[in-house]
Parts: sequence; structure tokens; C-alpha cells
Amino acid sequence: MPKILTGQIVFACGLAILNSIYASQIAQMELPFANGEPGPAFFPMILCALAYLCIAAIILSDLRDSLSESAPRGAGALLRVEVLGPILAITLTVLYILAFVYTGYAVATLGYTFLIALFFNYESSRQWLGSALKALATALGITLSGWLFFVKLFDLYLPIWEL
Amino acid sequence: MSGQVLDGFLTLASPGTFLHLIAGFLLGLAFGAIPGLTATLAIALLLPFTFGMEVKDALVMVAAIYMAGIYAGSITGITLNIPGAPSGAITTLDGHALMKSGQGTQALGVSAFSSTIGGLVGVVVLIALAQPISALALLFQTPDKFSLVLLAVVTVTIVASGSLLKATLAMVIGLMISTVGIDPMVPLGRFDFDSYHLIEGIGLLPAVIGLFATCELIAQAGVPTRLAQAQTVAKVTRPKRRDFLPDRKLIKEIGFLTYAKSSTIGVLIGMLPGGGASMASFIAYAEAKRASRAPDKFGHGSYEGLAASESANNGMCGGAVIPLLTMGIPGDAVTAIIFGVLLIHGLVPGPALLGENFVTIAPMFAALFVSAIFVFLSVLAFGPLYLRLSQINRGLLYAFIGMISMVGVFASSFSFFQMWMALAIGVLAFLLRTFSYPVVPALMGVILGPYLEEFLRRSLIVSEGDPTIFLRSPGSLVFLLMTAMFIWFLRIRPARLRKRAEAG
Repeated sequence: MPKILTGQIVFACGLAILNSIYASQIAQMELPFANGEPGPAFFPMILCALAYLCIAAIILSDLRDSLSESAPRGAGALLRVEVLGPILAITLTVLYILAFVYTGYAVATLGYTFLIALFFNYESSRQWLGSALKALATALGITLSGWLFFVKLFDLYLPIWEL
Repeated sequence: MSGQVLDGFLTLASPGTFLHLIAGFLLGLAFGAIPGLTATLAIALLLPFTFGMEVKDALVMVAAIYMAGIYAGSITGITLNIPGAPSGAITTLDGHALMKSGQGTQALGVSAFSSTIGGLVGVVVLIALAQPISALALLFQTPDKFSLVLLAVVTVTIVASGSLLKATLAMVIGLMISTVGIDPMVPLGRFDFDSYHLIEGIGLLPAVIGLFATCELIAQAGVPTRLAQAQTVAKVTRPKRRDFLPDRKLIKEIGFLTYAKSSTIGVLIGMLPGGGASMASFIAYAEAKRASRAPDKFGHGSYEGLAASESANNGMCGGAVIPLLTMGIPGDAVTAIIFGVLLIHGLVPGPALLGENFVTIAPMFAALFVSAIFVFLSVLAFGPLYLRLSQINRGLLYAFIGMISMVGVFASSFSFFQMWMALAIGVLAFLLRTFSYPVVPALMGVILGPYLEEFLRRSLIVSEGDPTIFLRSPGSLVFLLMTAMFIWFLRIRPARLRKRAEAG
């Protein structure tokens, strides 16, 4: 039996939910041409309608593919990606922004670049010690060069130390 | 005008500006050559730094990245069969075949020489045509401007590879992002969810960083190193610098006509919205093959094919800048980000830009010209290094990209909220990429959204709500017809031909 609910359909449904949240804000605005002019709601309304149309067409097309006997199994399903790496990268970046707020550039950047480099190095070599040493050198180098670039060379403000 | 162009060249003689040119050029080379990184990403990462630069330095650096980045896409394509950028994909066909047959250094030399020729032709055309086109574009009225921006948005959407529906939806998402914040015509907050952060809107910089840099970091974290290096089929050798000088006999064999025709194709395609380096190199390659005395060699190590695709993709650089500066239409992702660089410095690309600010923009023309020459010199200087570029440590590379992305957004806005926005847009862009939605139309939506909306609403106010104003204005009608023509030639006709071929 063909699989109906593919990753593509789930993602398109997610976009439809986001579009509905967008639409909920349009509902709070004055109707277009209420005072003779297109107004702030006019363009977003067109976008919203266009988004719903595209989403509906994408879902229908994917449903047709998944129900079709001739379609190859898994066609249109979620492309095969390594899931752990992206989740880790997102989590580390979330932690980086939080650390940036509470500890400042130096500590946050040192930790973030160390962990990102450690992940890529370990994934490549499968050796903890070598990867950690390389990552430490990378983190020190990047943190220092970032400070030199942003603060010293381009004279931009960074909260260096907030502890 | 020629005096102002000359002044632009003289500006490059200042040591500070020249250093920016060199730095941009090297950055473009590195990002273009490393698979997974592109000139687009390099310019996106440069955006936060441009806040602290003088306008001329920022434009010079961006121009150098553009020219070098487009060329460098072919380097790892030739050496390792992994094009560093999409523009190097066609070059890879013959370049890597030559590499495998032991002619790698000559292939790199001919590639650089051809890129220089194409690049120079593109810049000369840019200098010659930029002001006349600007003068013409000054006559445009609001409905004409709307149809022009619509043409840009539609063409970039329809040339995106894959599903048209997905490309359209990605473009709409970009346009939606652009509507967040204060309304462009009345003092009213939109889509702010009563948050004082959102009422400022989503900055261009977090959007660009999110769509390209953050998204790239997240995506690369999902690609195991063994897969990233799986296509490495060529052994790295250590040749001498003089080996990279192209043989005169080879240049003669390729012929003046191939260079002239391919460069012109590159410039013309660059001028079309949505053209891009990949399309330029593909069409020039196809034309060179059609006209060649040895078409069978194409794809198996033809210097003619290599020269055609490389002349065209660098010729495109000058051509693509023409609609950007004269009409405010960025034709591809790189020029879309250059649009952002100009905006950040208070320069609005469009008909009035060159009239009012030619002196400011002229160093950019000069930088494109000098960078085109540097392309050839670079192969002599760094040829041996090119062969080892793809072996850069991924941990170092992506830790650097992660830091620059986030700190860059903060340094340009002093806002932690914009850092969150960059991450959120990065995650969204990653999901879009994962599910085969192209990201470039979304970028075009973010950048051109405010203009599209403003020109649409102004036109309808003038016409009291009558949409036929877009058909009554001759300029607008021409652009709408061009939009329809592009849709026909780039989407409908190829689809029909494909169907007919499948049926037959």
C-alpha cells in the first residue's frame, strides 16, 4: 500500500499553518480599499492567497504521486539527510546566542567554535583527543581573529566580557 | 563620463582601497574554489563588515569577490570533478577530462585566460552601456517600475531549478518576510504580534545570513566527510608555476571567434534577469559545440568547450551589473546581495543611481576590470595551491562561518533579536532546501518585496483602483509582455518539448 503522508506533504502542511498565522494578522487590519486606497492589508492578502494556492497544488501533486502505482516507492518523501548533524548545529547555535547574551563574545565564541570544530573533526577522524586538540586550536584562532576583525580592524562594538 | 571612469581606476591606486581589492579577490577565490562555498556566501558574510567600510572600499571588495568567485568555481571542477560553484559545472565536463589525461595545468591555465577575456569584455560593455540605459530608465513611471520589479521576481522564480510551484512558494515566503514591520506607506506596524522587536521588521542582513550562511552550516553538519570527499578522483600533483601558462598554439586553436562569441553570450545572458553564470556557460558551451569542427571532443577534453564556458561565465559578471545599477534589478543571488550592500550605504540601485553617484560607483567598474586581469595572474601565483584547496579542514571552515554569521548580525544591528531571526531564517531555509524548495527566489522576495508593494499600491492609488493602468502605460506593457515571454520560453515551451519527446 502506498504511503500517503510523505515528508513533503507534512512540510507543506507546516507551511500552511505558518501561512494561517500570517493570515490571522491580516484579519486585524482594515479591509483593502475601505477608504479608497489599497491599504496595508492589500499586498499581504494577495501573498496569503497565492501561498495557499501553491501549498494546495503541491499537496495535491504529491498525493497524486504517492497514490500512483507507477510512481517509484518513496518518491516525494523526505530526502535522506543525516538528521543528527543539523539538529546539533541548530542546538549549538541556539546555545551560542544565549551564551553571547549572558557571557559576552569571548566565552561564547570560544565554546561555540570549539564544539562546532570538534563535531566536524570527530565526525571525520573518529579520534577524540586529536579532534579536541585541533578544535581547541581552531577555537582560539577564530575567537582571536573575530575580535581583531570586528573590534580592531572595523571598529564595531562587541560585548567582549559580560561575566 | 570617461574622466569619471578614469577616476575610478585612480581610486584603486590608493593603498587602502587596493588592499580591499586584493582581500576581496582572495576571499572570492577561496570561497569559489571550495566545494559547498560560493561567491554568494562570501558576499553575504562580508555584509556586516561593510558597515565599517567606506562605500568605495565595500564596492571594490564586493566586485573583486564576484569576479574571482565566479572564476574559481571551475578550479576544483577541473582538478577534482567537484565544481566549487554551479557556474563551474559545465567547465568540469572538459576540464576534468583534461585533468585525467595529464593536462590539468594547461586546463587551469586556459580556464583562467578565458575567464579574463570574458571578464574584460563584460566590464567594457558595462562601462559603455550603463549610463545610456540609466538615462532611458529615468523615464519610467510608477506602473512601469512595478512591472519591471515583477519581471525580476518572476524570472528568478521561473529559472530556479525543480518545481515551479515550490519556487513560487519560496518567493512568496520571501515577500512575506519583507512585509513584517512598519508599513512602507502608512505609519502602521504589520505582523509584529505586538512585539516591539518585530515592529522594526526583519533586517536584510539577518535574512541574507540566514538564507545562505546559517543554512549552509546546518546543511553541511548533515553531510558526512566521507561523502563530501567521495567524488575526489584526481590525485593532487605538485607542478611548477610556469606550467600554468596556456600554450599559444592552444589559444590559436580555440580561436578569436570562440572567445568573442562566448563572451558576448555571457554579457547578454548576464543582462537578463535570472540569467546567471550557469545559464551563460551552458548556452555558450552549446553554441561552441554547434559551431566546432570537432564537436565529438566536447565532454571528453575539449579546450574549445572549456574556453567557451569560462569566457561566458565571467562575461556574465559585467552584464549582470548593468540591470542592477541602471534599473535596480538584481538578476541573480550575488547581484541581489550587492543590491543589499548598496542599500546599506544609502545608495538605491535604479535609474537615478548613476546620474547622482557615478563617481561613487566608478571604482566598482574599475575593480571588476582589474579583478578580471588578476584572474589570469592568480593561476600563475596560486596554481599549485589550487590543487590542494579542497582539502581544507571542515571543522575550521564551518566554525568560522558559524561565528562570522552570528557575530556579524549582532555587530551590524547591536540586536540579539536579529541574531535569533538569522537563526530562524537559517532553519527555515535548511528545511526549504531539504524539501527541494529553491532559496534564491526567497532572497529576491525579501529584497524586492518592499519595492513591489510600494509601486503596486502607488499605481493603484493613482488609477483609483483600476488595475488596467499596468496595461495602459507603454513601459509597463512592454515589461509585462517580456514577463510573459520569459515564462513561455523558460518554462512552458521547454515543458511542452519535453512532453513531446517523452511521447514520441
